Amino acid sequence: MKMKKVLAGLMAAAMTATLAMAPATVSASDYPTDNVNGIVQWGEGGGTDSLMRPLSTLAQEKLGKSIIIQNKTGGTGSIATQYVYDQEADGYNLLMGAENPELYKVLGISELTYDNFDCVFLIGDETTGVVVGKDSKYTSLTEIVEAAKAGEKVTLATTGTGGLPWEVAALLTSITGAEFKQVQYDSDASAKTAVLGGECDFTICKIQSGIEEYKSGDLKWLCLLALESVEEMADVPLITAEYPDFEQYLPWGPFYGVFVKEGTDPAVEEVLSAAFTEAFQDPSYQEVLTNFHINPMGVSGEEAKTYLTDWQTNMVDALTNAGAIQ
Amino acid sequence: MSALSYLLVPFTHPMLIVFVAIGCFAGIYIGAIPGLSATMAVSLLVSFTYGWETNSAIALMIGIFIGAVYGGSRSAILLNIPGAPAAVATALDGYPLAQKGEAGRAMGVATTQSVVGTLLGVVVLAVGAPAVSQLALKFASVDYLLLGLMGMMMVGSLNCKSIFRGLMAAAIGVLLGTVGMDSMTAIPRFTFGNTYLNAGIDYVVAMIGLFGVSEALIQITEKDVMAVKQKVDKIIPSFDTIIKYLPLTIRSSIVGVIVGALPGAGGDIAALLCYDQAKRTVKNPEVPFGQGAVEGIVAPESANNAAIGGAFIPMLTLGIPGDAVTAVMLGALTIHGLQPGPNLMKTSPDLFYLIVSCLFIGSICLVIFGLTGVKIFAKIVEIPRGILLPLIIILSVVGSYAINKNLYDIFWMMAFGVLGYFLKRYEYPVAPCVLGIILTNLLENNYRRGISLNDTVPGLVASIFTSPISIILFVAIVVMFVTQTQAYKNWSAKREAARSAK
Repeated sequence: MKMKKVLAGLMAAAMTATLAMAPATVSASDYPTDNVNGIVQWGEGGGTDSLMRPLSTLAQEKLGKSIIIQNKTGGTGSIATQYVYDQEADGYNLLMGAENPELYKVLGISELTYDNFDCVFLIGDETTGVVVGKDSKYTSLTEIVEAAKAGEKVTLATTGTGGLPWEVAALLTSITGAEFKQVQYDSDASAKTAVLGGECDFTICKIQSGIEEYKSGDLKWLCLLALESVEEMADVPLITAEYPDFEQYLPWGPFYGVFVKEGTDPAVEEVLSAAFTEAFQDPSYQEVLTNFHINPMGVSGEEAKTYLTDWQTNMVDALTNAGAIQ
Repeated sequence: MSALSYLLVPFTHPMLIVFVAIGCFAGIYIGAIPGLSATMAVSLLVSFTYGWETNSAIALMIGIFIGAVYGGSRSAILLNIPGAPAAVATALDGYPLAQKGEAGRAMGVATTQSVVGTLLGVVVLAVGAPAVSQLALKFASVDYLLLGLMGMMMVGSLNCKSIFRGLMAAAIGVLLGTVGMDSMTAIPRFTFGNTYLNAGIDYVVAMIGLFGVSEALIQITEKDVMAVKQKVDKIIPSFDTIIKYLPLTIRSSIVGVIVGALPGAGGDIAALLCYDQAKRTVKNPEVPFGQGAVEGIVAPESANNAAIGGAFIPMLTLGIPGDAVTAVMLGALTIHGLQPGPNLMKTSPDLFYLIVSCLFIGSICLVIFGLTGVKIFAKIVEIPRGILLPLIIILSVVGSYAINKNLYDIFWMMAFGVLGYFLKRYEYPVAPCVLGIILTNLLENNYRRGISLNDTVPGLVASIFTSPISIILFVAIVVMFVTQTQAYKNWSAKREAARSAK
């Protein structure tokens, strides 16, 4: 009998503990009362991940609660996007993402786009380029394009339909007519690894993810997808030197932002925006941005929305012209 | 000479040693609670240590990392609930040992093996990091696929009534592993419109339910079984014992370091592979595997701790973290002005050697904290079941909630507990189920990648013979498979008989 009482008591304790842990409804003025989850769309060590982690470290100082980063990869980031959308719109789950969700709808990946989220902070965008491994036989983009047109199997390490390498490949196909064999990896870090290890012929790399390999010579940069060259990589040619037609798509690059589900209390969004803005302005984060060659924006609210809408319109137009989408 | 001076930094800054020690101590207890992981502890620490100087923060994180990886074995041995997926294999022989009253001995072995494993991992990191990272880069999709298949072969190594039952449980695991949005095309699979399932089934939630709750339910339904009195007189394994198992330890640690260094695999897979290898290669263990074989603790425990050193290799040589914990560390280093990438070892050799020496200090701390308190821990098994079983349930609830702070995780964990109960009742092993969930992603994605690289299945198979790594892995699988067949066993028995007749 005594045992039963102890057991009943412990069960009761367990239930109380469970209830106590349940997220209580709190007013926005106290937000955040609990740690916040930062759901990163892409894998550990990828471009999005390496920008979000330092920013969150600084932002949590201002928030007063920890931001726990979790990488939920897959489906060109749509698994993370869906995950955050499926949670309560209470500001405790942040979507830390790149440009990809803007294309989900037109590509049929998901019904969600950033229209279903509110942007609390936009970090900036950046320049990308075409890279091959150090032992690659290709020395220029033209060679890759010609090889592909000649029917050779040229493999492109991608991050999925709607991911950065896919986007660039679609634009390249529209200009050159060359089609590449696309192999999907779960983040730009693993796509880069595939090129470093020689499994794939080339990939599209962000400057932040490839500049150190440029310096060490582990990756050969064939060209930059930009109108102006980068000081530290002065000997890398611009794509317009080989394919002047590409200019119509430039300047263009992926962007990074922090989002919450639509319908989140504006007061909560304001707290988050303020925290991220302060973190962004911190000298140590500015140094990270400089090291990573990010074009800083640091905007939120309407300004961010305008940028996002413009980006989406331009990219969808470009992809439609390129014939990648109908 | 500068390398040596960097290595000795912690000894001139005693606070660093203190931080590693604190981290290690805390890590053991965090790691022992299922659902609480090193990743989570380190993530929470980032905010706590932000204002600190880099070295102290790194020291504390490394302490936690080592402690937590080891801590997973505690609950695996004592309660049959692995504290982390990397400790699943430890539970297979650790728990039977505890049931025999030898929990103290099991924990002693787990501790010494984790220490030796960590040390071997550190040595490889210190002397061979560039070479191992080159090897890791050469691992192609097909090699990851073969590695996953090797993991799957473990089903044949589990003690269960028949291979069919093991395969059934593994098939359930694989099926559960495919639930959720497809990782390449984002199409929902087996979600039946349930938004919770979009992100897939969390394998830690499944693990806690299948092991923890099901164990509690089984014991509740078995009446009048008295708790086993634990022998705690001889917990520290003698030096001779460590020497005796040393070949197995070294073998497992090497596998642990290499698998840990692969960006696409980690300590959990290393531990499973090594358990399997131990079971296949150790002839005549004192006790059969699955019933409390010491070798069954030696292999996974040395492997999962050796994987720690391995995880640092890609982080320091390629700028790509080997697992979630090193990803957090890399983020923390970036904010301190470091640029992750292949030049890190050249530009910041001090950091490299600091990590090496902190790992070394951490393994010494592990000896101290791992072996003290074993006697008290062993008493957990002696707690009357009326108190222990509800505690297991509470622990499982708290642990599964802590992962994502999602209430639904608790319900799913409970459902897995019921599934595990029936599996165990009908003598189906639960471990292959967890194995299936863990390996599905690795197998599926790399198979699909392999196919898109090689166009066809025959092309994929042919590609195995173009790389030495693939050939070695393939031969290993063939050998593993052949030695498991009845024909080989008959032949081998005949040969043994012939030899003894002479």
